[in-house]
Amino acid sequence: MRPVPAAVLLFGIAAAALLAERTASVAVLASVLLLVCLRAPGARRWPYLVGALGSAAALLLVTPFVERLPGVIYWTGPTIPVVGTLDVTSTELSGAVFNACRLAAVSLAFAAYALWLDHDRLVQAAGLARRSVLAVALATRLVPALERDAAGLVEALRGRGVEPEGLRGRARLVSPLLAGSLERSLNLAEAMDARGFGRAGATRMAQPPWGALDRLAVTGAVLAIVAGALWL
Amino acid sequence: MALAVAERVSFLYPGAAAPALRDVSVGLSPGQVTLVLGRSGSGKSTLLRAFAALIPHFHGGRFSGRVEVAGLDTRRHGPAALAGTVATLFQDPEDQVVFTRVLNEVAFGLENVGTPPSEIEARATSALAAVGAEHLAARLVTELSGGELQRVCLAATLALEPRLLLLDEPTSQLDPEAAEALVELAVALARERGTAVLMTEQRPALPLELCDRVLFLEDGSLAFDGPIAEARTWLAERHPVFVSAGGDVGVHLHHEGDVVARLDDVSFAYEDHLLVLDGAGLELRRGEVVALVGPNGSGKTTLAKLAAGLLEPLSGSVARVGRATYLSQDPGRYVFRDRADEEVAIGARGDLASARRALATVGLAGYEHRHPRDLSSGERERLALAAVLAPDPDLLILDEPTRGVDPERKEELARLLRADPSRAILVVTHDIAFAGAVADRVVSLAPERELAGV
Repeated sequence: MRPVPAAVLLFGIAAAALLAERTASVAVLASVLLLVCLRAPGARRWPYLVGALGSAAALLLVTPFVERLPGVIYWTGPTIPVVGTLDVTSTELSGAVFNACRLAAVSLAFAAYALWLDHDRLVQAAGLARRSVLAVALATRLVPALERDAAGLVEALRGRGVEPEGLRGRARLVSPLLAGSLERSLNLAEAMDARGFGRAGATRMAQPPWGALDRLAVTGAVLAIVAGALWL
Repeated sequence: MALAVAERVSFLYPGAAAPALRDVSVGLSPGQVTLVLGRSGSGKSTLLRAFAALIPHFHGGRFSGRVEVAGLDTRRHGPAALAGTVATLFQDPEDQVVFTRVLNEVAFGLENVGTPPSEIEARATSALAAVGAEHLAARLVTELSGGELQRVCLAATLALEPRLLLLDEPTSQLDPEAAEALVELAVALARERGTAVLMTEQRPALPLELCDRVLFLEDGSLAFDGPIAEARTWLAERHPVFVSAGGDVGVHLHHEGDVVARLDDVSFAYEDHLLVLDGAGLELRRGEVVALVGPNGSGKTTLAKLAAGLLEPLSGSVARVGRATYLSQDPGRYVFRDRADEEVAIGARGDLASARRALATVGLAGYEHRHPRDLSSGERERLALAAVLAPDPDLLILDEPTRGVDPERKEELARLLRADPSRAILVVTHDIAFAGAVADRVVSLAPERELAGV
């Protein structure tokens, strides 16, 4: 499948999860997206899965304590100034599960986008906005580049017998990381300049025409949004 | 008739105290392969940048003289205008990659210069095939080794079918076989397509056999310009290390020093669970220098990191006596502090006296107050070496310490390491001449992951 219809389909599923009103429907959408993410290579998928599922779990845990909704009271806690008496009710719990599923679905849709789509082709499909999209793509690539740089800096310290432990130890990485990324961006700009970036009359590599699967994905995205708004 | 001409070119980088190029005049003819030699900081890369119009357009600074490529004066035509006619392969492949997929990366330059869309993929694939990297087309660039990435970047330049090809230390991350293939490819391009090739190199032995002409730069000035035969004579008289083949590889001196590190039957795999090392063994004794060589991806760095204790083996055992330090391939990683002596003292528990002694040992006495980022690339290499020497380790491990280092500096480094009997030294290197010059024993890590003492 080409990346643009795939991105549209993921957007449609995420939108459906936001529009749906039934917890079970949202949970099914989140589960489907989780399965898609789980098929990505192990080393790459875990940061995304931890981020998506971790934030959903945090929302699930926190929501009942900060919301004040009527219902069957399952637990009553201490009284805290300003907040009042802490309790957990059936309505708060069901709301928390619903919101956690929603957040998980949207986060997992983004994770699937990051893990599976060919971002280069999205850039190529951007047409007139190619420069802006390329800038965004390069900025996105900065994150793994910074990860690699940070790992290299830690290795250089460990190679001298120094273990960067705790917040203070990690904080000493910030300055060399920032300076290093500035150097890297200058080198990249020079290389792009030398390769003719910005020259008038640029073309794009020919892309295969949309197939049945691509059209099906876009149709699926539309159907998912409509279903999310009307029936789910 | 010359394809590219530099006439009395001088250039001063912004904020620099001395010019990087001084009154340099050179003509480059189609089909000619020209090798640029010189010490680190002598202006080799700057000369290449002048032919790519990156100087003065990208870097600013003070430029005088004239550079013309295929009839285009670089003062009026910038790098983008010359792209396609000129293609440049920079030193560090990681800093020139734009896209995430290999094929798209190779296609990027073709798209920029307006190649018809229907031709782009075929030309990109063909360029990848020319460097033996066709199988990488669908891979993510982040998954490639340094050597593979360098080949991809070379493919990106070849895809443009340039008339002038500028190669800035193109073999710095390649094993000897891949380096030979690359130089031969450059020569073939010149012979078959009439491409003018201008190449800098810090491992000059092979290029000196295949190139047509040599330029030698000293402090930005052109000290020699002549055909290869004359160059050999001139270099032998003035800069003999540039034409020496290094020491005898395989000389095995017996050391009776105590065993400082022993790796027995170690295996290791990264996250993709493919074994990088399988049942490898290595013994390092105090007073000996061991060179670890082998092709790209054979697991040299992994074995070195296991010896240093930076990685834990999946199976097998690693025993060490005393302290080990490990010099990373990238000297840009030794920039945590604002002063050179404080940076070096990090590993010596803040002992500035030890740090200053280490700086003096590597020839950086007087640099104590300098900021590590203000040092030249060669000076940064030496600072990094001082940083791993300052803790006075029992086992010193150097990972590709000669990458980007000129032959004269390599000889100094070899002398420094040879004069140190107080520790065991393991040097990971692609540079066979350096291995021969520095090592008592050369260990070859074959692709089959078997260790064989040579």
